[in-house]
Amino acid sequence: MNPKNKGLSRRAAYWLALLGSLAGCGGGATTASTPAGEALSAAAVAGKALFSDTSLSVSGRQSCATCHVAARAFAGDSAADHGLPVPLGGANMDQTGFRNTPSLAYASFTPGFSIKGRPTGGFFRDGRASTLATQAQQPFLASFEMANHDAAEVVARLRQSSATVQKFIAAYGEAVLDDPETALRDIGLAIAAFETEDPDFHPFSSKFDYWQQGRAQLTAQELAGLALFNNPGKGNCTACHPSQRQGFDSHPLFTDFTFDNIGVPRNWAIPTNHPDGLSPIDGAPLSAPPAQVVIPADAEYAYYDLGLCGPFAPAAADANARPILAATTSLCGLFKVPTLRNIAITAPYFHNGVFSTLRQVIEWYVTRDINNNAANNPNPVAAGPGGNPYAAAGTFYTAANGTPDLYQYNDLPAAYDANVNIGEVPYTPPTFGGGQAPTLTSDEIDDIVAFLCTLTDGYDPKNPNAYNLPAQCRGGAAAGAAAYTQGSTL
Amino acid sequence: MIRISFARFTTPRFVRTAVLAATALCAAMSAAAAESGGKPSVEQQEIQLLQQQLAAVQAQMKLLAEQNQTLLQKELALERQVTQASLAAQTQTPAPVAGAAASPSPATSGAAPAAGGVPAATAVTGPAAAGAAFSNVRLWGYGELYYTRPTRDPGKAKADLARAVFGIGYSFDSRTEFNSEFEVEHAIASASDAGEFEVEQFYVDRRLSNAVTLRAGLFLMPFGLLNEHHEPTNFYGVQRNFVETLIIPSTWREGGFNVHGDTESGFSWNAGLTTGFDLSKWNYAPEFPQYSTALDLANSHSAPLASTHQELALANAHDLSQYVALGYYGLPGLSLGAAVSSGKAVKVPAPTNAPIPGDQRVTLWEAHARWTPAKFDLSALYAHGSISNLGAANASNPGSPNPIPSEFYGYFAQAAYGLWEQGDYRLAPFVRWERYNMGSRYAGTSGPVVPGGLVPLSATPGDYGYWPRNQDRVWTVGANFYTTPHVVFKADYQWFDLNSDFNRFDLGLGLNF
Repeated sequence: MNPKNKGLSRRAAYWLALLGSLAGCGGGATTASTPAGEALSAAAVAGKALFSDTSLSVSGRQSCATCHVAARAFAGDSAADHGLPVPLGGANMDQTGFRNTPSLAYASFTPGFSIKGRPTGGFFRDGRASTLATQAQQPFLASFEMANHDAAEVVARLRQSSATVQKFIAAYGEAVLDDPETALRDIGLAIAAFETEDPDFHPFSSKFDYWQQGRAQLTAQELAGLALFNNPGKGNCTACHPSQRQGFDSHPLFTDFTFDNIGVPRNWAIPTNHPDGLSPIDGAPLSAPPAQVVIPADAEYAYYDLGLCGPFAPAAADANARPILAATTSLCGLFKVPTLRNIAITAPYFHNGVFSTLRQVIEWYVTRDINNNAANNPNPVAAGPGGNPYAAAGTFYTAANGTPDLYQYNDLPAAYDANVNIGEVPYTPPTFGGGQAPTLTSDEIDDIVAFLCTLTDGYDPKNPNAYNLPAQCRGGAAAGAAAYTQGSTL
Repeated sequence: MIRISFARFTTPRFVRTAVLAATALCAAMSAAAAESGGKPSVEQQEIQLLQQQLAAVQAQMKLLAEQNQTLLQKELALERQVTQASLAAQTQTPAPVAGAAASPSPATSGAAPAAGGVPAATAVTGPAAAGAAFSNVRLWGYGELYYTRPTRDPGKAKADLARAVFGIGYSFDSRTEFNSEFEVEHAIASASDAGEFEVEQFYVDRRLSNAVTLRAGLFLMPFGLLNEHHEPTNFYGVQRNFVETLIIPSTWREGGFNVHGDTESGFSWNAGLTTGFDLSKWNYAPEFPQYSTALDLANSHSAPLASTHQELALANAHDLSQYVALGYYGLPGLSLGAAVSSGKAVKVPAPTNAPIPGDQRVTLWEAHARWTPAKFDLSALYAHGSISNLGAANASNPGSPNPIPSEFYGYFAQAAYGLWEQGDYRLAPFVRWERYNMGSRYAGTSGPVVPGGLVPLSATPGDYGYWPRNQDRVWTVGANFYTTPHVVFKADYQWFDLNSDFNRFDLGLGLNF
């Protein structure tokens, strides 16, 4: 798409979002519709149909939209996945995925993968797909997702889905169905066109966007939260989630698309992290995790998700994908920085979905190396009313049985601990007035959460009360402060 | 800087004469050898013949010498004309001539002529040479190396070939002259190094009359004592002063044109229309301090105008700036000057659908004085900058450690004394006190939100320090030691009042020609 068209569609997106709000759509993004469907290209129209066509999966119950839920900024809905932090799929919808479903909103702004300096860009959480289109093809064939055996099977199912196939033929012609590989490529292109063209994927209609335009006021708490977000000695969030526009778009995207290893705790609610390897749905054996990864012999567990260095490898059909990085162990544990737009409605958080509220995330950020890291801080400062937000040591890093696991960075083999980012605020807190204290107080964490909630799309400056925010944005200081327990809600 | 005629380096005249003589002698000797026979009076005949040939060769050489002399006269005359033309041009425009009033070394060393004059070496140099095609080309250069050692953190000591600059000038005719300077900063300019290769000046002067010259191209702005005369032999201290680095963004150059001239009573004037500043380049969100040593402070280009000047590199030229500079050097040893520049800037960064209302105007003014009574060299300067209409832009970046300042200023006073002099050697100790404030007023924010306590200074684990203040008072004490007026060794020590971690000891070597 040339820049001019892009600009037009952006403007269209803006007006459409505004129009939608004025028309009293209420929930904004949560009920986002595409009133101007005719504005989409034929490819995008086909992509829209493909995106939500469950008949293209072996189970007949799964489409892109099953896991990328529009009301959740096209992220996953763990309620629909039996409370798991990873999606269900496979022929019988009993297979569990390996990663928390990423939001597709604003994904079309992602640059291609590059590794000059810091690894940056690419699609999937590990950047292994070169384009949105090559990414979109792959769930059709993944055994734990739509589970088709090959492109021919996808095309056979497409031929049976008359409404979708008509739109596909309108865009790509009928002959292409005779060549399954090409057809699957076009399916990816169509879905990518939909995700790029449809303004629902990038409405830029958050309260923050309206505030930037001078059409909404942030509350004192939200502004304080933004200031802490930007402050390099406090949240320093903007270092990786820039609140200023970067080179990717004229809007701030709240990600710089780089990769980082931040030592996220292991999530025992992901079935693959357990050694038994059985489906929590029906006890069926789970698909074996992909194996393109180097696990050191002295690692504590048999399976780790190490992002850039594996276990997933780029698809062979994706000619422009990044190389396999399994041997580059310095990149083990690095995952792509996600956008924070709509972060309040895209729980759970991180690639493994280990946290369910923003407050937990920030508490963990500012205490990671204080009370959770026995090596860094053998004498953690006690929690208390002075503002130290963290709870007992070992709260976040737990063993499979729920006991504190002070083996640091327990979702990473110890041999790769050096890959963890410890040089930036807030991971390694400076010594403010002596003693290792978190860079944020409990109240300041609330402020940042309040600001993060303003990144939710669907704000209507004419009707601010209709802003549909999740519970963690509405509860004031107590929001999201519920006791942290890891695990499925099954 | 000394302009040296290119012809100085060539000696084709001698070569040519020698070749001619050798050829003639060789021919004569061959002829003599051919005619040597076995007759009785053969030796006499030979001697006679040789004498005749020698006479012929002598006559030929005399003729050649005469012709050569004529050529030499013509060449000298031409060279004189060119020199006079360039003298006339340079008298009216101090830059880029280093021997102007503001430079400390020539003013007291006596090696260069008086204020506004031209170094002696610019005149006809050495035996006038051939190569008429190059005789209106001038080459010059300067450079500086230094060693700087933060005394509280010696681990950050650095040695640097800070600048290597070469200039090329060309006189098209007696009224039209081109000047340029090309600079390599920090020794290596490549994608993976800190260095830069840059064009510092590139302009044409056209003398419209004896009093008025038109200049067009990329040129140095006539602001302060240092900007136009920044060669290391022309300032005291290893590094340039902070006021003329952080407030006046030396070496400040812009693209455009100006008219300038001097009056017989000793006034100089200069007014121009140039490119301006680009606030869209502003970095509101540096994660780490942009500088953590005094050396970084000057090199990081994080000061308000240093970070936004465009240097004619695909410069946005939608809005142009105007400036006026006036100077007075009518009394011996005294030089006064003042200048002001103002213009709309490229707007601050903002999303396209959320433009910052209104325009930002950048204004900079300065006044300076220099007085050199007896062996003293006294100078002082005040500079003040302002940027309008920043409230909305700064307010949209709350918590920024680096908002855009609405006002910034600096001033210094400096005294040097020619303590010892012998031949070309000269030792001049000096002391300077300066104050700079890169953000004395902010709109839309109470100022930079700078973390207290120890914070990471870089992504390198364990690199902790205090986030530096964007203002300070600095004492500098040191000396310049000239081995010739064009080569200087320097040493100094600097004390910082607020950012005391910046305290440093410096050694430097500077040269120009």
